[in-house]
Amino acid sequence: MSGPPPDVYPYQPGDPRVPEGDRGSRILAPLRAEGARGVAIAIISSVVVFTAIVVVVVNSSGWPLIKESFFDPEVFAEAFPKILEKFWRNVFIFIVAELLVLVVAMIVAILRSLTGPVFFPLRVMAAAYTDLFRAIPTILVIALLGFGAPALQIKGVPDSDVFWAIVALVLVYSAYVAEVYRAGIESVHPSQVASARALGLSRRKTLRFVVLPQAVRRVIPPLLNDFIGLQKDSALIAFLGYVEGLRQAQIIQFENFDFTPYVALALIYIVITIPQARFVDWLVARDRRRRQVGAAL
Amino acid sequence: MRKLFSILAVAGLLLAACAEDDPTVGETGGAPTGTTGETAATGPTAPATAADCAAANADAFESAGVLTVGTGNPAFPPWWQGGQVDGSEFEFNEPSLGQGYEGAVVAEVTARLGFSFPDQVTFVPLGFNKSFAPGPKDFDFVLQQISYLPERDEAVDFSESYYDVNQALVSTKGSPIAGATTIAELADATLGAPVGTTSLSVIEDVIQPSADPQVYDDLAGAVQDLKAGSIDGIVVDLPSAFFITAVQIPKGVVVGQFEAESQEYFAMAFETGSPLVECVNLALQEMKADGTLDVIHDEWLAGATNAPFLT
Repeated sequence: MSGPPPDVYPYQPGDPRVPEGDRGSRILAPLRAEGARGVAIAIISSVVVFTAIVVVVVNSSGWPLIKESFFDPEVFAEAFPKILEKFWRNVFIFIVAELLVLVVAMIVAILRSLTGPVFFPLRVMAAAYTDLFRAIPTILVIALLGFGAPALQIKGVPDSDVFWAIVALVLVYSAYVAEVYRAGIESVHPSQVASARALGLSRRKTLRFVVLPQAVRRVIPPLLNDFIGLQKDSALIAFLGYVEGLRQAQIIQFENFDFTPYVALALIYIVITIPQARFVDWLVARDRRRRQVGAAL
Repeated sequence: MRKLFSILAVAGLLLAACAEDDPTVGETGGAPTGTTGETAATGPTAPATAADCAAANADAFESAGVLTVGTGNPAFPPWWQGGQVDGSEFEFNEPSLGQGYEGAVVAEVTARLGFSFPDQVTFVPLGFNKSFAPGPKDFDFVLQQISYLPERDEAVDFSESYYDVNQALVSTKGSPIAGATTIAELADATLGAPVGTTSLSVIEDVIQPSADPQVYDDLAGAVQDLKAGSIDGIVVDLPSAFFITAVQIPKGVVVGQFEAESQEYFAMAFETGSPLVECVNLALQEMKADGTLDVIHDEWLAGATNAPFLT
């Protein structure tokens, strides 16, 4: 091999020349460069801006009404445990769906990346599938399968809402994720494939040991994007009549004519989403550190 | 340092701007406020008829000289009848025809408030949520088969009953629960109800089946699943139950109705503190006293009340 591979990292860990964004959070990084004075200004301006926002909202003429019907502590205390209990059903749905999506999307992406005239029909099918299921709104796929499939009353076809909602979510999100995988596969430099082939690896082994590991590593952040989308869309199963987090929130909302249950559910979604984002940040950072070590050798 | 000053200056402007907002709206609830307070008082000088009350509170209407009524879209039978009208937003039925039980009640209330129907009535299509979203309402009242509940009373003001309602169970011929005569026979049934209705509380509190209830966005979803056989039955108000079995599910049967601990009723919902509640209540009292409400009931809901009680 002549010259370093294209993605060798030129800096040692902790090097101040490392571009800002690579040292973790892009929100905090500029502060480190500015020193104590910068930190002081940031704190003062934050306090002023956030106080101003709070003051504007709280003094608005509609605030007492909003407070009563969106932030009612009594309704919150009643709603939160009930919603959380039903939210575990969402968790089950999206975890099963995500595991299936990882596999199905990979198969579709590989089919689409196959070269050679023999594979033409497979490529067309994979492309048609991604076009179709990215085009139809998720709620329609869920409604069509969830209300339609059981109505066929075919023996052996399950009529469970959870089953059809998972099928619908897997179909829709595999289409998105297949495209993400494909972008990752295509981002691997052709010289990598050429080198692998020159070393005597078969096409399959090149894909398995050279292309896919690099491709998957690169697409982890956009993959999380799609997974967060999927987690939120698990609420669409409510449309089929299944009582999960959203529908439970709605039920309490209608009992009280009060929107606080929605705030409670939003809070649950925030709490499960943010740790995932930080986990992926950590994963990406760890991966980068490991590759840096490799480059230093 | 200059940067810091500019930030402070902007913040100062923001603070000044919001200080001008008048916090008088903080005192909602309780007695009627402002201009209508003196005329709407329910003391010894309270108006004797609905028309007098409406005249005295002419300022309180959403738009002057017109009664603005919110209701659901689609306008479901048997509450609304008469079919669609070209160019109208409303689906299934056109409210301004004054047909169906709620249609006829609105037409009668309108007349008693001193307006002419349908010329001086505007119908606003509303999502169910909109009837109780906080803030000023863009209708005088909403009627949409909304059951009175004490918890709901905190968000809106309710009129008196315009229909005393019982909940009923709909199933299909051949279903194991189609012939049920007791609540105990429903223990293993999968039942459904539309969200936002008191029907769901009947499933959870009265029937208490072992299977989780299915809760749908609207009646259409529940009916679809009953047709497909995914659920054994639907709990709905009795008149809707008869409509479903007569029109939507030919194989459907009304299994029976439920006796509530306290009589459930449909009421019109108003913005909190609206002086018009009093006027509409007067109109309803007049209609009950002279038998008009019974006549409307017999015309639109005849035959929709005879179902055995499940005990």
